Amino acid sequence: MAEPIFLHFIKPGLQTTVQDGGRPGFQAYGVPVSGALDPESARAANELVGNDPGGPVLEITLLGPEIRFEGAAQIALTGADLDARLDGAPAPRYATLRVREGQTLAFGKPVHGCRAYLAVGGTWMVRSWLHSASAAPFATEALAPDSLIRKGSRLAIQPNAWVEPQAWPEELFPHWSGSPRIQVVPGPEFERFPPLAIAHFFGRPHLISPQSNRMGYRFQDPLPGIPSPSLTEIISSGIVPGTIQITPSGHPILLLADAQTTGGYARIAVAPASELGRLAQCRPGDGVWFQVAG
Amino acid sequence: MKTFPLGDQAILFQFDQRIDPAVRAEVTRLQQRIQSADIPGVRYFIPAYCSLTVGYDPGLWTSEALEARIGALSAGEGASEPEIRNRFWRIPVCYEPPYAWDREDLCRQTGLDWPEIVALHTGAVYQVYMMGFLPGFAYLGILPEALACTRKAVPRASVPEGAVGLAGRQTGIYPLASPGGWQIAGQCPVPVFSPQNENPFLLQPGDGVQFFSISGEEYTEWKNQVQTGAFDSTLLYG
Repeated sequence: MAEPIFLHFIKPGLQTTVQDGGRPGFQAYGVPVSGALDPESARAANELVGNDPGGPVLEITLLGPEIRFEGAAQIALTGADLDARLDGAPAPRYATLRVREGQTLAFGKPVHGCRAYLAVGGTWMVRSWLHSASAAPFATEALAPDSLIRKGSRLAIQPNAWVEPQAWPEELFPHWSGSPRIQVVPGPEFERFPPLAIAHFFGRPHLISPQSNRMGYRFQDPLPGIPSPSLTEIISSGIVPGTIQITPSGHPILLLADAQTTGGYARIAVAPASELGRLAQCRPGDGVWFQVAG
Repeated sequence: MKTFPLGDQAILFQFDQRIDPAVRAEVTRLQQRIQSADIPGVRYFIPAYCSLTVGYDPGLWTSEALEARIGALSAGEGASEPEIRNRFWRIPVCYEPPYAWDREDLCRQTGLDWPEIVALHTGAVYQVYMMGFLPGFAYLGILPEALACTRKAVPRASVPEGAVGLAGRQTGIYPLASPGGWQIAGQCPVPVFSPQNENPFLLQPGDGVQFFSISGEEYTEWKNQVQTGAFDSTLLYG
């Protein structure tokens, strides 16, 4: 068997984590699902290098890492265009690329989208927890210690046999709007909200706050017309990624894959799983519109 | 009972919105009924105080179709309903210094002295109403009314693993070190969350729990047993 290769992180980037299909099935015990926020892009990257589509990839957020390849590999970059460069030369997205021993993959300014996915052909030698290598939102040092990338991290990968390189035609690349119209279904507490709050919810764009993370997008402006904070409080109940809660201050929060499994805020609406990928490509400052799925 | 789709991947079954053992028993019954029907494409459950979230594979079901399928199960309920048999745990807690961080705050809020608080906290039989917040965090209820208390005005940046907290009419054990706003009454020496185990969780929704008070010396003995690997969670089986 070939020797493992290493990805050596000279710089970690803004938020770089190992993610796969997550650890669904343990929500009853309070375990967040986690996993790639844009699962379609993660799968596409793995397919280009011949990996299991639900296997681990690096999720790279806005400002990418600098990675020195200790060993040759086949890689693929999908999702956001974060100006990836291999030894300074532009590295195309949605294509199988060959990286030679000693080459460096670095990223520049974010060009389009928010989250890029890097697949590397082979078996990732990372410790998993509850059948998933995804970084955990809590105590990840104990639970999935290899999956939160830091300066100096080294990821070991046992390479596969090379696959036939593939490249997507550019017209198939996904394009994400900075003001997406997201289809939602009314949530269990929708009826509680007065008409003014509902009118704002559907009639205005909601700007994503910089205080957003993999647990959820916070939106900058509160909904008006909420007569009392108690309107937004419920006896704690299950939540799923895509749930839009309204906090007592009236601020909407859209929950993502690292969210807690239960919550005590009113659920005004829920975005279906099929909308989560393009939401994941929104950046702080983008304005999200919600529409009733019809 | 009301039902709501949660997007295209889960259904919420909602019971009377109150914290009540009888309502919680309905949640367990519905979950057991769905589990025993072994419906393909049902992926997970999130049982809570007065609701049950059922996650499903949207490739196999629409929410309407699954709701109808589960509704048909409920129609057959009645005499044949199995009795709910939950597990019961007796869990040691040291309520002495240095573990009882919020002793003074709790005495002030409840108007009780510390031995009375410990007697009430250990005298009650709790149920795991829900798990959430952190992996393995069990919301235990219902706390005796005399012990009802508010959260800390400013949450602590870090509460240790094993800390036993009170908030509102609930109590619980922190499964791992985390920020936390509950009033800390003591410290449990045995792990409720063992991530390296095949089943990492001591407790599960529906379990019964009663605490018993141990001294600082006993706390150290329990802790040693845990550290040397001699501890066996079946010792806590009540």
